[in-house]
Amino acid sequence: MTDSPPSTENLILLLTQHQEALFRYIFSLVPCEADARDILQETSVALFRKFDQYDATRPFLPWAYRFAYLQVQKHREKSARSPLLFSDDVMDLLANERTHIEPQLDERLRLLDGCLGKLTPQDKELVTSRYALRQSAEDMMQRFDMSRRTLFRNLEMLRQRLHECVTHQLQSEGLA
Amino acid sequence: MNLESLIHARLDGELTPEQHAHLEELLRGDWQARRLYLELADQHARLLQQPQIGTGRLPSQASAAKRSPRWQKFIVPFAAAAVVVAGFIFWPREAAVIEATSNGVAILSQTLDAEFTQSTHRSGETLAPGTLKLAKGLAQIEFFSGATALIEGNAEIEVISAWEARCVSGRVRVHVPPAAKGFLMHAPDMKLEDLGTEFALNVKDGTSAVHVFEGEVIAHTDQPPASLKQGMTLGTTSAGFLPVGELQDLVKQRAAQRFDVWQKWSLETRKDPRLIAYYAFKHWPDDRWDRLVNNFTEPRRPNRAGGAVGARWTQGRWPGKEALEFKRPGDRVRLNLDGTYHALTLACWVKVDSVDKTYNSLLLTDGYENGEPHWQIYEDGSLMFSIAYRPNNQIKAGKYNQMYFSQPVFTADSLGRWHHLAVTYDSQSGEVIQYFDGHEVDREVSYLHAPGRDITFGPCEIGNWGLPTEGHPSPIRNLNGAIDEFAIYSAVLSTSEILTIYQQGKPE
Repeated sequence: MTDSPPSTENLILLLTQHQEALFRYIFSLVPCEADARDILQETSVALFRKFDQYDATRPFLPWAYRFAYLQVQKHREKSARSPLLFSDDVMDLLANERTHIEPQLDERLRLLDGCLGKLTPQDKELVTSRYALRQSAEDMMQRFDMSRRTLFRNLEMLRQRLHECVTHQLQSEGLA
Repeated sequence: MNLESLIHARLDGELTPEQHAHLEELLRGDWQARRLYLELADQHARLLQQPQIGTGRLPSQASAAKRSPRWQKFIVPFAAAAVVVAGFIFWPREAAVIEATSNGVAILSQTLDAEFTQSTHRSGETLAPGTLKLAKGLAQIEFFSGATALIEGNAEIEVISAWEARCVSGRVRVHVPPAAKGFLMHAPDMKLEDLGTEFALNVKDGTSAVHVFEGEVIAHTDQPPASLKQGMTLGTTSAGFLPVGELQDLVKQRAAQRFDVWQKWSLETRKDPRLIAYYAFKHWPDDRWDRLVNNFTEPRRPNRAGGAVGARWTQGRWPGKEALEFKRPGDRVRLNLDGTYHALTLACWVKVDSVDKTYNSLLLTDGYENGEPHWQIYEDGSLMFSIAYRPNNQIKAGKYNQMYFSQPVFTADSLGRWHHLAVTYDSQSGEVIQYFDGHEVDREVSYLHAPGRDITFGPCEIGNWGLPTEGHPSPIRNLNGAIDEFAIYSAVLSTSEILTIYQQGKPE
């Protein structure tokens, strides 16, 4: 630990502040929660190692995204045989376009909170069960007395409604 | 499968390799498809990360959570570089199964006219290590070890742990049962090790005096340790040692006074013509069935009396004041309130022991027909008022449900004590205001509101929801706690009226 404590502290603060955004970035490229979390950890380590190169006068996230992108590539190489990973070219397109529309994505999240509030009690239960309690599909099938097919269809419709609600709000604010 | 379904299946991990290839093809060829994918993935990632907003509805709270994720407090204090990596292990992967923790070491069990400086405390509160400055009055601290300390203001006490405290100044009396043998009390120039006993300590201007009433105390000073036995005093003091028993008597007297204040107020308020019903939860000794929950409005409206089912009589806010306790899934008070109204106020004194169901009933109409109010405590501890008006041709009410949530008010600290809850609703303005202990905690108008729609009750109940229809199980929503006063008004009471109700009826 030759690093001076203030710089380590700074990194912790920056990571704490931006960890969620980093996770979302990684998740858009590797849409599997467990893998995305692993990649986020590896990214944090990489950031720690290279933190002396960080120019504090510049925004942190774009700098951190480069490391995240590299870690995503490494992850791809490790699990190259997985058929559920996006190909290089698609991933590139997604990563590029995501940085362009990031402000809009952030705006959407701001409105998402309000849209969650308008869900029916049934949908809220579904959200709680899937996201807050992290229940497995099996548990949820039992709890809501639904077939697997119905459960995932309901989850799809729920997220679709949330997406539409946000889009609608953006339109009414004249932002879409 | 269309693009949307492919994306959602991808997010749920329910995609076959063939479908994945199909999705990739669509994304590769169309920027709008990529845009939709990015938006849906971002939304999903957000829900995964902030399960606390999964329960929804509180935009202000949710955005607060966004600014400071709850695990932040775990990470920031560690400055060691290694923790940068380790810190992320604290991620709440399974938020729901993390056991609740408390850093409490003692309970502020009773107070009398207590005024604290620098911090506010209420009796029943759990105390974490820290300093208590009692400006005046009496306070009793029960340490988790079993030791009890009675303190008289003006005093300054530092609670160090369940086994250790320091008296900086003031008069203290300590009782240590055998289980708490070894309890340490620090004082200027001395440290008292208690061997199961009762002793008093006076500290003034940096000098200490101790007197042992019973048992044995080892006094550690700059001299060799001295054993103090029953009747022995070390040090000198001009003030007498703090007598015991005083607090108990005074607390009883005070409770009787509060009860009296409330009773006088209650006798007046029941004449309020705006009252639809007023349940004071007075148990009639000559009620042979023991199940009558009388309506005390004046003039009398006996047809609006309630019937207790299952719920048992217990002590209310004060000795002598009764309450009904709701514990089992069947416990409830049945009511039938006639009439249609244009506004309402619901107000009650409740002691919630636990918020353990998704919905915890206060007052609900049997069904959920147009214009019927439902008042509950939601699983996150917030107050929830709802009323639905659905168009004639619609069967399901969900979409037309006007719901109003307060911020969470029932937390570990507010459970197990008496609190005053109130909600007002005006069918013209659509405004709902919710109150907790006389103070506003929510004010909003639902986007579904349309002015002038009637409010009705009909068959309804306190503390539970609904009669099961034949062959259908009913959801379990019984309150876990006790209620000792419930008022239903046909008008919106003002903010100051609600505050008065709270002040006239507050337990201490």
